[in-house]
Amino acid sequence: MSFLSWQYSFFLPLVVMLYWMLRLRARMVLLLLASYVFYGMWDIRFLALLMGSTCVDYFCGRAIVGDRSATWRVFVTAMLPLAWLLACGLLPHGAGDVRTTMFEFGAIFAVLFPLGYVLMWRVSEERRRKGFLLLSIGSNLAVLGIFKYFGFFATSLMALLQMVGWDCGWILPQVVLPVAVSFYTFQSIAYAVDVYHGKAKPAQDLLTFGAYLAFFPQLVAGPIERPAHLLTQFQHAAQWDWSHVHIGLRLLLIGAFKKAFVADNCAILASYVFEPGTVLNAPWAILGVLAFAFQIYGDFSGYTDMARGSARLLGIELSQNFRLPYAARGPSDFWQRWHITLSRWFRDYVYIPLGGNRCGPILTLRNLWVTMLLAGLWHGANWTFVLWGGYHAALLTLYRLVPWLGRLETNTEQRGFARYGSVALMFCLTLVGWAIFRAPGLAGLGAWFAALGNFNATLPWLKPAAWLAVHAVPLLLQWATRNHQDESDLDHLSWPARGVVFLLMFVLFASALSGEQEFIYFQF
Amino acid sequence: MRTISKSFLLMVVLLVGAELVGRLLFAQTLSGRFDYGYDATAGFVENANGTVDLVRAGGRKFFPQSFAMKREPGTARVMVVGDSVARGRDVASSYAGQLGEMLRKSGVRAESFNLGLPGYGARRKQLVLQQALKYNPSLVVLHVNLSNEFEDEREWRRREEFRSPHPRNWLMKSVVIRRLFEVRTEKIFWELLPQEVRLQGAVSDADAEIVAGMNDATLARWNNLVRDQTALSVETARKAGVPMLLVIQADKITAPDGRSRTDDLGQYEWAAKLAGPDVEIIRMKDVLKDQDVDAIYADGSHVRAAGHELLARAIFERMKAGFAAVKN
Repeated sequence: MSFLSWQYSFFLPLVVMLYWMLRLRARMVLLLLASYVFYGMWDIRFLALLMGSTCVDYFCGRAIVGDRSATWRVFVTAMLPLAWLLACGLLPHGAGDVRTTMFEFGAIFAVLFPLGYVLMWRVSEERRRKGFLLLSIGSNLAVLGIFKYFGFFATSLMALLQMVGWDCGWILPQVVLPVAVSFYTFQSIAYAVDVYHGKAKPAQDLLTFGAYLAFFPQLVAGPIERPAHLLTQFQHAAQWDWSHVHIGLRLLLIGAFKKAFVADNCAILASYVFEPGTVLNAPWAILGVLAFAFQIYGDFSGYTDMARGSARLLGIELSQNFRLPYAARGPSDFWQRWHITLSRWFRDYVYIPLGGNRCGPILTLRNLWVTMLLAGLWHGANWTFVLWGGYHAALLTLYRLVPWLGRLETNTEQRGFARYGSVALMFCLTLVGWAIFRAPGLAGLGAWFAALGNFNATLPWLKPAAWLAVHAVPLLLQWATRNHQDESDLDHLSWPARGVVFLLMFVLFASALSGEQEFIYFQF
Repeated sequence: MRTISKSFLLMVVLLVGAELVGRLLFAQTLSGRFDYGYDATAGFVENANGTVDLVRAGGRKFFPQSFAMKREPGTARVMVVGDSVARGRDVASSYAGQLGEMLRKSGVRAESFNLGLPGYGARRKQLVLQQALKYNPSLVVLHVNLSNEFEDEREWRRREEFRSPHPRNWLMKSVVIRRLFEVRTEKIFWELLPQEVRLQGAVSDADAEIVAGMNDATLARWNNLVRDQTALSVETARKAGVPMLLVIQADKITAPDGRSRTDDLGQYEWAAKLAGPDVEIIRMKDVLKDQDVDAIYADGSHVRAAGHELLARAIFERMKAGFAAVKN
């Protein structure tokens, strides 16, 4: 179910109303059911995967702190994914098209996980703690590896072998990428690591953990939450306050506006420019990447706002994910403003464990490159994403090594031209990154760069530029929030001005709705 | 927190206020607005005093005109139903206006009305005709043209776009939102984005979709539609007992020798079969045959005032010869 679908406009108010009528325990049941319905609207089969992750991470989390669950409980819980797949198999064809391989996976999981769980308790405490941590991380990475990267690495390997003259002729299975898998696996890893390091307490019961991991507002595309922030909110009953409604509705409105008015309309231009075979000149190439820059920002930050708004209606606060990213003065600043929860995840669970910047300049750069390449790969199983990660690693390296570039970013005292110049430079560099990110492949990227040298004036571009301006310029109004913590904060405006802004956003959003466009980050 | 609720309240009040203002104060303008001309009565305002006003409403850009609902005995009432060619630049210079003037100068008590609407094809002209017949015309002139079926098709799709009561269409039931959607489509989307951009699969756009699907088969289907609809219009007028004159459009084309000439694109061949006791035909091609085509035409299909005068004269001559003579 998408936030902008008509179903969601009934689903959310219903869940919110029921939620505030219930006690804590019943709220968790409601949230779990609602989240599974929300997720199941895409593909009910993959709920089995979510159940599997929930089972592994819950029992591993408890085991890390030395709390052993009864074997029969572990076994019964591990049976749930298989039971769900069997139930799906009974549904009419189309709704529950479950392949034999999925049953096999379910059955293997139902046997191996309880077995591994029991065996792990036979080793010493420290080894057991580490073992459960590795089991949790390994199972999440295995899910990512199988569902997201298997096809990519296998085809890349086949291409490589073909280049050296060996045609292996493998027939690869078609693996469907489940929605949200990149997000909830990362959230699960964060949970296991934080529990291991004592930064968070494990969930007290499976129900709460299930509701936490599958929490529908942030399940599909984040923000990627930490247990210390989100899980604790699930363990105490939120108190009703009108501010939840006010802030929730404001965030929903802003998010819907960014998605339906800004992102979906900029997407029309960006999709055309990056369509393979489109003949481009320099203005069109620039228009396309500009359109994509505003599309992806409007799309993802709009999604985050709606996620935060939906959660807030339930009295739950989600983390900010964006903070005026195009106002960044350098690449490091950019990553503190763009997809903040992912940046922090990579910082805390990859960069710092690798040694961070504590082990000399060369190793620091190595850690930085590894982190950024992995961050690029996280966005999708395609070499253009890896290249995008590498490009940002190169920018970070450059800003570290070239003193005057570094000063542009770090000298916050700069005003006027120097300040705006550093923002403009970083924006241009970000655009190049978006071209790499959006290009359908390396050939498409080459065509886009080649178009920058084509000044053929026969392709009129002024009117499309006006189209882009109409849909992107309203975002610039966010500049007014530059001194606020939250880019969706409008408290600096008087209430009548805010009312007019809300009205404009609503009518522009509502009159721009023409079909339901998928959110970009759903595919990652 | 109270200030935030005040701002939301203001938004709701402004929205509801705009909706009420739209529905109450602009009820007439908005009547049938989102039927794009497929509402039979749009643009015809029947007053309590027994008169009818032709207004710009409901996707019908009528020139403002008024007439009594019931025709006075002994008065010729001519109603010209057509597209932008019949509509002309204004009522006075259009052939409807000039015909009325000629009739009156010749001593006939006459009134002639211009019901031409830009972009109207056979389907929507039939609806206008149905309404016009309710006002006792003594003659209906139907301007037959092949070139507007694209608009008829597109406007039909736009009309159907949000018609179902499905919840996904609920926002578009608001006249404010729908009107803004319409303005965005017509003034921004169609104006600023080239067709090849709008033709992308992901973009929902009736205009671009029809262009993409246009081929010889579509054009042939539309031409057959014009033929069938015109036959239906003739039948409708016959049943109402009102004589009808079909004016067959001729377009300006450039011949292989580089000279301009007129061509009615084969319409006369099938229209001739519709002629009968109360149905006569005037070919624009015949009317304009001795004229300087380049001087008469403003573009490929629209004629200047001089062309309208020639058409008015041709209709006048038919009436003088006894066609559609007023009996009472």
